[in-house]
Parts: sequence; C-alpha cells; structure tokens
Amino acid sequence: MFTIGKLATFAGISADALRYYEREGLIEPAGKSAAGYRLYDKDSTRRVQFIKHAQHCGFTLAEIRELIVLRGRDAACCGDVRKRAIEKKLQLEIKIRAMKAMSKGLDRLIKECADETKPVEECAILAALEQVAGGAH
Amino acid sequence: MKIEVFYSPGCKECAAAQANLKAAAHEANARVEWRELNVLDELDYAVELGVLALPAIAIDGKLVFSSLPTPRQLRKALNKHIARET
Repeated sequence: MFTIGKLATFAGISADALRYYEREGLIEPAGKSAAGYRLYDKDSTRRVQFIKHAQHCGFTLAEIRELIVLRGRDAACCGDVRKRAIEKKLQLEIKIRAMKAMSKGLDRLIKECADETKPVEECAILAALEQVAGGAH
Repeated sequence: MKIEVFYSPGCKECAAAQANLKAAAHEANARVEWRELNVLDELDYAVELGVLALPAIAIDGKLVFSSLPTPRQLRKALNKHIARET
C-alpha cells in the first residue's frame, strides 16, 4: 500500500488529479492509514493507467466511468466496448472535419492578406473577420 | 424513400430490433429501400451525415434517429416525411 503522492509519482500525474478522479468516481483508495490518509495498491496504479490510455484515445472522464462500469458488468461483452470506441471515432472524425474546414478558412484569409506592409486598419484578414461577424447577426 | 440504418458490427441491440423496424418501414411505405450499413465500412458517409451514436437511422440522406426508435416512432417519422414530400 502506498500514499497518494507515491501513486501520483508512479502514474506521472498530480495528486490533485487523482483526488479529482476520486470525486468523479473513477478511482477509490484501497484503504486508509491510521492517520486517515488515503492508501492505494497495485490495482489503483492499473486503474490510473487505464484512465490515462482512455484519455489519450479521446474518451472523457464520464465516458471512462462508463467503460469501467461496463468492465464490471457480467452481461457486457467486447461488442459493447467496441461500440463505444466506434462512436468515439465518429466524434473525432467529425471534429477533424470541422477543424479542417477551419484551417481552409484560415488559408483563404491568409491568401487575401498578400501585402504585409499595409497598416493594420487596412488588414484584409481583420476586414474579412468583421464581415463574417456582421453576417452572423 | 431510402432508409439507412448505421450499426456497429456485433451490436446485439441492433440485430434484434432491425427486423421489426424493417417491417414497420415497409408497412408505412411499401416501396421503401432499406439499407443496413456497417458503420466501419461507411465511416465517411456516417461522418458526413453527423452520426455520433449507434445505431442511427437516416431517411433520404438525413439523420433522423440517433438511437433505435420503436417501430411506432419510425412509422410516425416516415409518415411525416411522406407528408412533407407530397
């Protein structure tokens, strides 16, 4: 058994992040010391690694909690987890498309501003952005 | 009219409900074209339609359900769609 500080060091995250995970129901201490400090074990280390890997794949903490619940459910199967992974991929692909559209928008603006020596009040980028803002109202 | 069901392979929930939904769709419109799409094979199309959750149902290329409807809900949506088209 080890303290929150040790677990934080093993996992490479802050103790505050671990306390946050605990508030979010993602981890729980394996026990408490006589002085009332949280104590963790090897399962806690595995759980934190699981959370970190899932975050790297884009899962939110709420979604990670669902994965953890699924893991403990007898009736659940690999297909349930796979479905969530596919849904996450769909979400990411939609975000990627939106970001590509943003990047293309910036390309157009950058192209419009060919003369960098012009004073800022004649900046084509700022003018174009104002037009967009005006059109949105 | 074209109905497209996006499903994740191995989804028990989808497989069990699809037959009933297909029957309900044909009941609403006998000439309905029913397509079942494995989302992994049609990822770009699913993204284009804005599919975020599975299973999902699109009617004539527009996402209408982000989870499996009941046969009654599907019939209602189809009737509404038919009324709009005529």
